[in-house]
Amino acid sequence: MNDIGEFALLLALATAIYGVVSYVMAFRSNRVDVYMSADKTPIIVWACIMVSSVALWKAFLTNDFSLQYVAAYSNIDLDVFYKFSSFWGGQKGSLLFWTLILTTYMMVVHVQNRKQNVRLVPIALAVMMVITLFFLVLLNFSTNPFERLPVPPPDGRGLNPLLQNYWMVIHPPTLYLGYVGFTVPFAFAVAALLTKNLDDGWIRLTRKWTLVSWFFLCMGNLFGAQWAYVELGWGGYWAWDPVENAAFMPLIVATAYLHSVMIQEKKDMMKVWNMSLVLLTFVMTIFGTFITRSGLIQSVHTFDEATLGYYFLGFLGVIVAFSVTMILLRLQLLKSKNELDSFLSREASFLLNNLVLLGIAFSTFWGTIFPIVSEAFRGVKITVGPPFYNQVNVPIGMVLLALIGIGPVIAWRRSSWSNLKKNFTKPILAAVIGAAILFPFVPLTDKSEIFTYITFILCIFVMTSMLIEFQKGTGARMEAHGESPVGALSGMVWKNKSRYGGYIVHLGVVLIFAGIAGSQSYSTNVEKHLKEGDRFELRGYDITFEKLLWIKSNDTKERVVAQLGIERDGERIFVGYPEKEFYKGQKQPISEVDLRSTLKEDLYMILADFKGDNLVTKDDGKTGYFKDASVTVKVYVMPMVKWMWTGGWVIAFGTMIAVWPDRLEARRRTERLKRQEAIFLPAQE
Amino acid sequence: MKMIRIYIVMIVALILLAGPATVWAASQLANLENALMCKCDDKCGKVLINCTCDTSKETRKILTGKLDSGLTVDQIVKQYVDKYGETILSAPTKSGFNLSAWIMPFAALAIGGFGVRKVIQSWVRPSQTKKDADANGKESAPETDAPSGKYSKKLADELDRLDS
Repeated sequence: MNDIGEFALLLALATAIYGVVSYVMAFRSNRVDVYMSADKTPIIVWACIMVSSVALWKAFLTNDFSLQYVAAYSNIDLDVFYKFSSFWGGQKGSLLFWTLILTTYMMVVHVQNRKQNVRLVPIALAVMMVITLFFLVLLNFSTNPFERLPVPPPDGRGLNPLLQNYWMVIHPPTLYLGYVGFTVPFAFAVAALLTKNLDDGWIRLTRKWTLVSWFFLCMGNLFGAQWAYVELGWGGYWAWDPVENAAFMPLIVATAYLHSVMIQEKKDMMKVWNMSLVLLTFVMTIFGTFITRSGLIQSVHTFDEATLGYYFLGFLGVIVAFSVTMILLRLQLLKSKNELDSFLSREASFLLNNLVLLGIAFSTFWGTIFPIVSEAFRGVKITVGPPFYNQVNVPIGMVLLALIGIGPVIAWRRSSWSNLKKNFTKPILAAVIGAAILFPFVPLTDKSEIFTYITFILCIFVMTSMLIEFQKGTGARMEAHGESPVGALSGMVWKNKSRYGGYIVHLGVVLIFAGIAGSQSYSTNVEKHLKEGDRFELRGYDITFEKLLWIKSNDTKERVVAQLGIERDGERIFVGYPEKEFYKGQKQPISEVDLRSTLKEDLYMILADFKGDNLVTKDDGKTGYFKDASVTVKVYVMPMVKWMWTGGWVIAFGTMIAVWPDRLEARRRTERLKRQEAIFLPAQE
Repeated sequence: MKMIRIYIVMIVALILLAGPATVWAASQLANLENALMCKCDDKCGKVLINCTCDTSKETRKILTGKLDSGLTVDQIVKQYVDKYGETILSAPTKSGFNLSAWIMPFAALAIGGFGVRKVIQSWVRPSQTKKDADANGKESAPETDAPSGKYSKKLADELDRLDS
């Protein structure tokens, strides 16, 4: 099977080369037979990559340690669940996984647009094929996952224990679905530039792709944060690490695009700007990949064998040069009649929103590369860590939060002062009342707490303005159609899916802002050394160390677990089991936290250290407990963390509504399809 | 009796001072942990306050010792910079070349803001000029077939209502 997998990679490479050449030839010569031939390549390439992937999965699941990659990232005792996810645990497999997603997307684009959008699709597929080709060259000649070992070891080294967590099974695929998804809008944008079809056709075609990719990237970031929260054991979820930043930047640029593209859709303006944002989003995904795989910037998340820097740097350079050249060449065609009716318009507020979003993206980019800049100019290595990003991005983020509330209540075209007064009175009033209610309860002793207080006020303002939007629309429908409130609300959302889906996404973002603010400013922690039966109190929780347990999971993994009884007002509410896991061949044990999570706060428990000399094992030899044990536990009480994760699901719900297929649109599409007679049309000059 | 009073006063004073002193020491340690990166062998890349490795535990003990010996946060940070270089700091200093790290994002925002203002101004002006001309009772440009001021206003009001 390994030979088949390796051969399939080579076959995919050959087919991709043929695909690129034949698509370009078909486009240039306008020959239908060549186009028909080229049109088979996306499916063949996808099938080959699928065969390779299945071969690699099989090698993991059958413990085939003759493959260097399997021996490095798996072992016999590894759970099947993690054997499956070991596929993307290292550089080689993750590149194959990336290519699998890319070719799957390419195939979907191909199937979705069969016999339609013929001006753009062949070139878009050719662009996607070129990108696939780059990854296939890497997979065949630089990081082949089917590389054999001369002498297969009896067992593998195993997967990094930190990656043996269910979030790590979900987080990378979600992130990759987002990262790779931006290839589709990029490919269509390039196709539009090359074929000079620069109306909003490519935007309509890629709107849902962009939204879905944005959604996956957003959720990928949140899942990554959840992994860090439960696995790294430091009571945090985001550390502004370069690799985290690499996933954050394309998300922010894509968010700017999703907003500004609405102006192009409504008023046919800002074509150059939107084109630039799409290209920049893709550039950012490749820049992120470069960071993760080059080893240039120190990060806890980079791959062990970060050796592909030059390849990705070259690829990045080509993409940037190509994108800039194409925009300059098509500048005249991209020029649009830009006219605004007023400063006080939603269009203007979207421009501000773009400015702020790009400001956040730039500061993150600047912080990420500043260590290299410093080394280049001064010869001094420095670190740019969380204090920098928190001081720079938090104030800008607060302006963004305010704009989320302001934008939707300003009318398109032009808002009058009386209109503004009408729309803003209630949200501002709610914010003032909220500020007064919160004032006695929130501490305001330092800058961070003051920022948090302002963030809460802004959250109330935004929430109110959003809810008023829902209430106004529902009221109007009830009056016009005589519907019930629920019927009017659901009817309104259903009729304007993208608008109200977007508002729901905004509500999710507000929850995330509130969660970050609350958990960052009002958390507390304590570290205690405890003997059996010792008890301490933290923010109303009575925590007792009851016993220290020992569990042998398998030959390579042992666990030491502290049992903590948690009481509140004299009532036992929870039993916490923070633990240390010991893996064979690992220098340091891994901490596994335990937590009791509610909307109000998380009780987050870490076993920092333990002392237990007298182990009493049970008959099975696999479990036991330590007599007269003592432990050092670190316990955090972190308010509102769950708001962030809830915000993520609200975003998921909103996105689902926004991308839900529209029957009217589908009908228009079918009619368009019927009208098209030719299968392949040349581009019009 | 006098001695007992003195003892009581001393104990009360100790209790009153010990609480804030402990809090102060803890906040000083937290400041240090925020300012310094962990310097462990695994190059975990974490700020000391977020790190849970053995090296970070050792470092915390050393830092507590230094604070107890009377050194200030700045003095301890300087010692660490002298020993490990600027890379031990969790953020760039706000002086010299490093100041550009802090200034650039806000400078970019300011330049961008200025640019956006200019762009909006240039985009708004044509219709604004037309409106001014209408208001002054001048004739509309001959090539346009725009509705007269009264109907234009009515149309704009209708559109406003529709939008809001």
